Amino acid sequence: MNRIQVEVLIIGNGFAGIVAANRLAAAGMDVVLLDENIHIGGQLLRRIPAQLGAAKVYHPDYVKKIGNRFIAALKEKKITILNRARVLGIYPGHEVLIEENEKKVRTLTAQRIIMATGAREKFLPFPGWTKPGVLSSGAVQVLIKSSGVLPARDLVIAGSGVFLYSVAYECLKAGAHVRAVLEQSRLVDKLPLAWQLLHQLPKLTEGTRFISKLLLSAVPLHFRTRIIEARGNGALEQVVSAPVDLSGKTINGREKTYRTPLLAVGYGFSANIELAQMAGCQSEYMAERGGWVVQTDSHLETSLPDIYAAGEITGIAGALKSICEGNIAALAILGRQGRMATADYEAEMAKLLRERHHHLQFGNYFNSLYSIPAAAYLDIPDDTLVCRCEDVSMGDIKKAVANGYDTPATLKIALRSAMGDCQGRVCGPALYDILAALTGRSQAAMTPLVVRPPIKPVRIDSLASFMD
Amino acid sequence: MKEKKLDLRIEAIDRRAAILIRVNGRPIDATPGETVLAALTAAGFKTLKKSNVRGEARGPFCGMGVCYECLVTINGIPKQRSCMVEVAENMEITVHEPDPG
Repeated sequence: MNRIQVEVLIIGNGFAGIVAANRLAAAGMDVVLLDENIHIGGQLLRRIPAQLGAAKVYHPDYVKKIGNRFIAALKEKKITILNRARVLGIYPGHEVLIEENEKKVRTLTAQRIIMATGAREKFLPFPGWTKPGVLSSGAVQVLIKSSGVLPARDLVIAGSGVFLYSVAYECLKAGAHVRAVLEQSRLVDKLPLAWQLLHQLPKLTEGTRFISKLLLSAVPLHFRTRIIEARGNGALEQVVSAPVDLSGKTINGREKTYRTPLLAVGYGFSANIELAQMAGCQSEYMAERGGWVVQTDSHLETSLPDIYAAGEITGIAGALKSICEGNIAALAILGRQGRMATADYEAEMAKLLRERHHHLQFGNYFNSLYSIPAAAYLDIPDDTLVCRCEDVSMGDIKKAVANGYDTPATLKIALRSAMGDCQGRVCGPALYDILAALTGRSQAAMTPLVVRPPIKPVRIDSLASFMD
Repeated sequence: MKEKKLDLRIEAIDRRAAILIRVNGRPIDATPGETVLAALTAAGFKTLKKSNVRGEARGPFCGMGVCYECLVTINGIPKQRSCMVEVAENMEITVHEPDPG
């Protein structure tokens, strides 16, 4: 059995992870940086691998330039980088069960852990969203950015959040015909909060770049509009949209149909807190942070000593917050280790904490603007699947709730919802929202689902390798 | 029969090399460095598996290893996330879809 000891294990190699790794390795600490993905950089820094070829035009924006610099800097440091490596379990004493290349399992003991597991997309289920040809907006972007492939030459983009514009921009650049971008929210709805954006001018410039490209390409942008159905004999052929009223309910009788082989859909992001939950870290529901997040103190230490959380898992707010938090977590560790002069540590920490405050406000604005209203969940027709893995419908959920199975845990037992391959990563956030909408209870008062290892499906021969 | 083979790869990328993989026994073009999902998508495959309970057609959804909707058999090993594996020369892949032609 292969056992290793490390000073710091960083889980997730997106912005927060690479920033923390750089900082700690530069201070001479022994760091392992692991991630499930094939390439370093997380979701945002995806790009065409050198092995595949070269994009004739590659203009990274300023945030990606920062990220690419961090990745280049890491390559010059003494650090263990494990790609295609998954954490299956975290046990007392920071013993971590790791699977590499979906083949080999071993344990590693870390004195400290930084969880930087990022976020995934969030969805509002609608009839037909399980049809082939309905892809998450992230999937469309990943295929374009990592492999240079379009899922179809024309598409409709729908859902909520600024990310949709970035996807539309990538699709246009890749030569696709974007038939429309449908956004359920409306920018002016949260104008009173807009002052919070003032500290984030570079991000606004980038958003403006996306939107001007859409306008120049004459892509119709419809606000307060939502997809209500995806149709097709087998794969997707048509999508139906409808306007949304101020409460978030769809308005009947004004539907519009688009013929399209591809729908890219996404409703913002949800923090990947499962691994932290499994380790035993406290999580909490904070609507302004984008939903369930890992609870930390101001220096990003979780409820468990020597386990830190950084990046999107403490609140959805984008790459700049992740960079800032990667630095805070690293600094907190260096400070506690006495590897920095107290005055330097305090000055830098104070500066980072001020920055973090601004990033959180920026996130707060968008998370409030793009939240999915309860009325939208109540509008989901009974025959619509919510849990894709176990084929659990909205009607099944309503019936179970009416019969008293009205908590995440009892609902899971009653319906097997969130018990399939994805372990509730796709339907989970919607399930909590649906429960809140159906019962009128706040999610803050709900007990989140217990997460047990293995955190993702693992092949039995992979586990067997551990015993060799 | 279609005149031209469907290929959804973006022209604005200079691809270094081409390899062949087999999907349900049929040879398909692929580029080293792209994921199995990308190669399948470029060739027009949309349905990759059947849902667990109702047996409905399913295709890729999240594209980043979360949803388990793009599961295929790769070199005899079932239930592999095609979005998390890169193509390799002579890879044998089995998907549920009728061949897109």
